[in-house]
Amino acid sequence: MVGSNRNRGIRRTVRYALAMILLLVMVYPYLYMVLNSFADWAHIDKQLLPTKYSLKSYEWLFTGGETGIPRPWLHAFLNSVMVSLASTVLMMIFGVMVAYALSKLNFFGRNAINNFVLFHMFFPAIILLIPTFLIIQRVGLYDSYLGLILPKAVSLWAIFMYTNFFKAVPTVFIEAARLDGASDLKIMYKIMLPMSKSITTVIFLFLLMERWTELLWDMIVVKSDRMLTLNVLISQMFGPYGSYPGPLYAASALLTLPIIIMFIIFGKKFQEGMQFSLK
Amino acid sequence: MDHRNNKMGWLFTSPYLLYSLIFFFGPLIWSFFLSVTDWNLIAPTFNLVGIENFANALKSPSVHSAFWVTYKFMIIFVPIVTVLATAVAVLVHGLPRFKSLFLIGFFLPYLSSGVVSSLIAKGLLSYTSPMNVFLRKMGLDIDWLGTPLSALGIVGLILAWKFTGYYALILTSGLESIDKEVYEAAAIDGVTDRQRFWRITLPLLYPSLYTTLILAFGVTFGIFTEVYQLTGGGPNNATNTWQMEIFKQAFTNLQAGYASAVALLASVATFISIFIIRKLLEIWGKRNGWV
Repeated sequence: MVGSNRNRGIRRTVRYALAMILLLVMVYPYLYMVLNSFADWAHIDKQLLPTKYSLKSYEWLFTGGETGIPRPWLHAFLNSVMVSLASTVLMMIFGVMVAYALSKLNFFGRNAINNFVLFHMFFPAIILLIPTFLIIQRVGLYDSYLGLILPKAVSLWAIFMYTNFFKAVPTVFIEAARLDGASDLKIMYKIMLPMSKSITTVIFLFLLMERWTELLWDMIVVKSDRMLTLNVLISQMFGPYGSYPGPLYAASALLTLPIIIMFIIFGKKFQEGMQFSLK
Repeated sequence: MDHRNNKMGWLFTSPYLLYSLIFFFGPLIWSFFLSVTDWNLIAPTFNLVGIENFANALKSPSVHSAFWVTYKFMIIFVPIVTVLATAVAVLVHGLPRFKSLFLIGFFLPYLSSGVVSSLIAKGLLSYTSPMNVFLRKMGLDIDWLGTPLSALGIVGLILAWKFTGYYALILTSGLESIDKEVYEAAAIDGVTDRQRFWRITLPLLYPSLYTTLILAFGVTFGIFTEVYQLTGGGPNNATNTWQMEIFKQAFTNLQAGYASAVALLASVATFISIFIIRKLLEIWGKRNGWV
């Protein structure tokens, strides 16, 4: 018995070691990005992890360095924040509204809409890209915030997730609230939302992350420098500024770290929500 | 549920109905129409050209490559990400403590932007990178993104890096749902580790595995950012995905009509492929008696 205990101890240690090594390999690219953003320019992309550091890359982001052309990094960051938050909040609000109707209201056409949401969700969206661009252009929203936000104001996935979740909420609660004279809006806000905190965290983080890292749409609908999102700005700098990797790493860190920090803050809730949504 | 409330129902779903009218039905009809015109995105006029766009697309080498590249990415990406995610899930599931912490750590790559992961990959593969310096010392001078096979491999690996933690999370919750008693009974019967994985874990994991496989196959039909950043579809169309081809035709060559035809073909190919893949996965599960 003593032998088997020791065996189990060794196996456990090996497991932890393996998990640690694998985790290090997976987060290494992030580490590489952050350390290279602080690296002395002569040391960038030359070592597994740079050994000499400076703040030159970040300084360059704001001054444009010897090129003398300051790029709108800060503005792009704020654009990203604004567009992503606006899009995500709209997707959440509409998701809750539509899902509430589809799961808890009895009305003519409900099944048809419900089925259509599923069809829409699995429809290959690539067909819609060019005409959507043309619509935005025709209504004068090309190169504007609304052009970035409106086509991404509804998420089929959010509707789908909330509908499934709300279906599991017992109708008794709602009937009782109705008898007390609560309106549908109040029921949604006071009963449904508080009950769905963990899934709301999951949906919010997924939507925000997806919107934050969007490239194709944000790239084609924007022309002027002042409208660029940070992701698109980095993408544009990629080729022509290839000989300035430092500032690109710094901008990438600015793009990536906020979302990682947010995720770590909500990590526990996120996992609870994931467990639920996967059942 | 007994009282009908049409007014509220339609009011609450109206944002979606309006949205699907403007951003689904409108574009869909427009797309069909565009695909039979020669419109070039800026000219005030256009001609109806019938099926000419489709005929040209079916003859175009870059459309052919877009068709095949999707399946090449599948062959690279799906096995790598599935094996990695399963390994991570099984490994983390067996840890007595810090499970959540590890899962959150493995999930972090999923939060990356394709632009950023491409930039990092480019840095790690740069001429001066330690790996390439080492390889040159060994007499190997590889142009990673300029060689078709390695370019495909690099993009496949970037995607596998991104999705492993996400799929591992799905698989872990599949593992959690497996009854501990099954393992205990197996341990009493003296089942080896290998048998345990193939005969117990895998069959019971099948539903979650099915989910991750469908998601992974789906990813390969929507590859754009990494290819756009790293290869532009090259070398010689070796990484030219559907999205890349449509983007190039529509917004670089300004062939809106032709690009719409390509997009329609892409959707048909995607739709049929996903349907077949789903069926094959189901048959695979049934054959082994997992469903």
